[in-house]
Amino acid sequence: MTESLFLFASIADVPVAVRAAEVEAVVRLGDIVPIPLVQAHVRGLAALRSRVLTVIDMEARIFGKGGLDESASLAIVADIAAHSYGFLVDAVSDICLAPEEAQPVHGRIDPAWAPYVSGVVQREGRSHLLVTLADFAAPPGAGALAA
Amino acid sequence: MDEILGEFIAETLETLETLSSEVVAWEADPTDQSRLAAFFRFFHTVKGSCGFLNLPRFERLAHAAEDVLAAVRRGERGADPATVSAVLAVMDRIGALARGLGGDETIPESDDDALLDALLASAGGFEIFEPLPEAHDDTPASIIADPPAGEAEGHGSEPDAAGPAHAKAGERAPRTIRLPLALIDQLMSGISDMVLARNDLARRMRERAIDPDLESSFERLSANVADLRDMISKTRMQRVDRLYAAIPRMVRDLTRELGKKATLDLDGGEVEMDREMIEMVVDPLTHIVRNALDHGIETPAERRAAGKAEAGALHVVARQSGNQIVIEVRDDGRGIDRAALVEKAIGAGLLTAADAARIGDAEKLNLIFHAGLSTAAEVTSISGRGVGMDVVRANIEQIGGVIAIASVPGRGTTITMRVPLTLTIIPGLIVRSGQHFFAMPRNNVVELLHQTSGMVAIEEVGGARIATIRGQRHAFIDLEDVLKLGRAKNASGPRTLMVIRSPAGQPYVLGVQAVESNEELVIRPASPSVTAAGVFAGMTLPDNGQPMLLLDAAGLAHVARLALRETDAWHRTAAPEAEVQAEPTMQALMFRERDGTRRLIPLAVVDRVEDIAAEQIAPCGTAAFVRIEERLVPALNAAERADSGLKSLRLYAGDEQLCYLIADVIDIVDVPLTVDAGLAGGRLAGLVMVGEGQFEMLDPFALFAEARAQGTIARAGQPIRCLIPDEDDAWMRNILAPLLVQAGHEVRFGPVTEVATEADAAHVILRGKAHDAEGPDAGEIPVVTLREDAVPTAAAPDTVYRYDRAQIFAAIAQAARRVA
Repeated sequence: MTESLFLFASIADVPVAVRAAEVEAVVRLGDIVPIPLVQAHVRGLAALRSRVLTVIDMEARIFGKGGLDESASLAIVADIAAHSYGFLVDAVSDICLAPEEAQPVHGRIDPAWAPYVSGVVQREGRSHLLVTLADFAAPPGAGALAA
Repeated sequence: MDEILGEFIAETLETLETLSSEVVAWEADPTDQSRLAAFFRFFHTVKGSCGFLNLPRFERLAHAAEDVLAAVRRGERGADPATVSAVLAVMDRIGALARGLGGDETIPESDDDALLDALLASAGGFEIFEPLPEAHDDTPASIIADPPAGEAEGHGSEPDAAGPAHAKAGERAPRTIRLPLALIDQLMSGISDMVLARNDLARRMRERAIDPDLESSFERLSANVADLRDMISKTRMQRVDRLYAAIPRMVRDLTRELGKKATLDLDGGEVEMDREMIEMVVDPLTHIVRNALDHGIETPAERRAAGKAEAGALHVVARQSGNQIVIEVRDDGRGIDRAALVEKAIGAGLLTAADAARIGDAEKLNLIFHAGLSTAAEVTSISGRGVGMDVVRANIEQIGGVIAIASVPGRGTTITMRVPLTLTIIPGLIVRSGQHFFAMPRNNVVELLHQTSGMVAIEEVGGARIATIRGQRHAFIDLEDVLKLGRAKNASGPRTLMVIRSPAGQPYVLGVQAVESNEELVIRPASPSVTAAGVFAGMTLPDNGQPMLLLDAAGLAHVARLALRETDAWHRTAAPEAEVQAEPTMQALMFRERDGTRRLIPLAVVDRVEDIAAEQIAPCGTAAFVRIEERLVPALNAAERADSGLKSLRLYAGDEQLCYLIADVIDIVDVPLTVDAGLAGGRLAGLVMVGEGQFEMLDPFALFAEARAQGTIARAGQPIRCLIPDEDDAWMRNILAPLLVQAGHEVRFGPVTEVATEADAAHVILRGKAHDAEGPDAGEIPVVTLREDAVPTAAAPDTVYRYDRAQIFAAIAQAARRVA
């Protein structure tokens, strides 16, 4: 069984896994400049050196409300379709190898999570939901998303 | 053109290199269709490029080879070894010629014929090759030595002491390499990082006391970074020549196809713009040129009937204006038929007949930018295929540009495109709304005013807010309301109103808490989740390191649900039309006098504004002059000594000019043609109301009269040519002549041999007392006779005392006027 690198993090206390190939860096962001008239999960803009990141609150995106408090700043940085994003997460635990093939999700998953989860990745005997960052960046209503 | 030529050479050699590996394989299997296609493409590309590069020799070779290969492809002729060799020989020759263009190698052209003969011979005597219709002077030497006008910079101007052979070696094409654009973009973003790091460092250094040495080395670093950024930005620039490259060919082909005649005049090819921008402008420009040829310029017969030259004139001009590039396409064709446009618009339901009767000429012309309106009676293959001026306008506006049209029926049409210099850097105003900062592209902003200004009246009617500014009524929205932001409670000072011109239609007024600053902004696209809001055009990272969003003027209007499209506007403004009707205006220059007063002067009489140093002002008795470019121009307002730099308005009226010294120029404003309150006498014409103030308008007539009264007005035209027949007279030669020369006149010596009617004849003849009053051969040229005695004698009453300077000059001037 081939293995590949995954980033393990947690969103709303749920352990998740992201393919490391998607991830550029994990950083603590400075000031986040809020953006008016956008959906709640688009937290604002943040500068990362000369780049401007669009900061997405993953928790708010999944549940359509709530989300992290103002002080949240830990973000996964990724370039998606020529735009740079920062995805806010609760915590990042590790980057390590895990079996490449995601396993199907057993049991009934929270409907809010369902559109984002493509499987389960096992690490140290614990299940992590496999998510794709691009799903969080796409504007709402696009694709399979119903958030 | 040099750049394009260099690129052509590089590309050709590169393709040849790639193809050389295929040559052997093709020889082995000449029937291989894919290889055949590769060779065919090569010749085709070369032929195409040569057309507009004016390289007929290349064109001839490539054309012949292409024909042969086409025949092979069609199966009309076999790819026998002789054919293959002939084609390969032509390929080699093209390679050699391309290298020759870049260097000093020449190949006699007669050799080409042998190659072409070989091509034809292998065709078994079957005549495939047709000579091209035009005969060109096509030795390679002449190609290099004789580039199209305006392209010779840096070449022909080099000193040529070493003879032609060496000069040609100096013409070697500049060495270039080709770089992927992505690498340049990376460099650019690296530099941007550096600039931000520098700014951050600068901010930190300001916060604490830094020793001056450190500061000065930081300054040096900082300047280097700035230079580097400029240089990197330049790598993205390209000459507009590149944009022009395809036009001559297109015009030639189109005029033939349409049976018209046109001369093409391309100007401003040396202007540089962002290469990405060039690509964005190619299509609109092509379309406009096509339109001009197809719809604008008439057939030779029609032109003759209209009393015009048979060949239409098409001018394409590019110039840089501030941080915009202006591209103008001008034809002298039939102009745009308003009636036809309006009729079409009514037919298409765009407006009603009542609307049509009401709208102005400019609005009628602007109908051409509406989808589906093309004035051509018939859709031709050239233009008018549905993609029309609406698409052109959309393309131009998409890149932040503006397009305008002017047309005089029967006289021609001018279309002006104004596009930003680069796609990525635009001037913007930083506006504040509460805690938030946003950027607004400056070219969207027509005007800034304080809400409390007397020029603005704001009223609210049934929820709609209307701002009336100088009689113009605009829809009025507040940025905070559109963006659903809270108002700052403790905002100090009046809010600022911005008159916004949006590509989508009528201007509107946007209220913001304050306009903070004016910056050059590097714009990047915003992510889809941000643009989903519909009011942001992009984002930027100003020097303070805080990301900022760029507002989209049209988007704001849309989100605020302002009905702004022109068609809607016609309906809305039906009633107050008369009120809005502006009276005719002229432009006036507002300036600050040396005593601080703000005054106006009609712009038409101001030739130029110049910086004047105190040393340039030469007082001369009660009058004064300003020395400009080794000439003395009479000056007004020079009485007070200047301590610091002044500005001068050079006023110009035919052949008279004078300098009006002022402290500074303030603005150019539109004023009514007539003054609001007339004043009689003095330098002032009267009072003019501009905005909320009233200003004194200078009277140019009075200014020139005053200068004339001082006796200081300069005759800006030809100096007076004086002829002194007696060159041996020491007084004439050593005393009088220098005086005349000093006064700006020309002095010649020698016998009177000319008559007044000759073009360069003397205006006046000066004689001393030793001569008779009238020479035998003076003809029509007036004579001024000087006498030695202060008191005129009865014998010579009309003479002038030779030490009466004023009299002498007056007599000369009078005599010269008599000739004129």
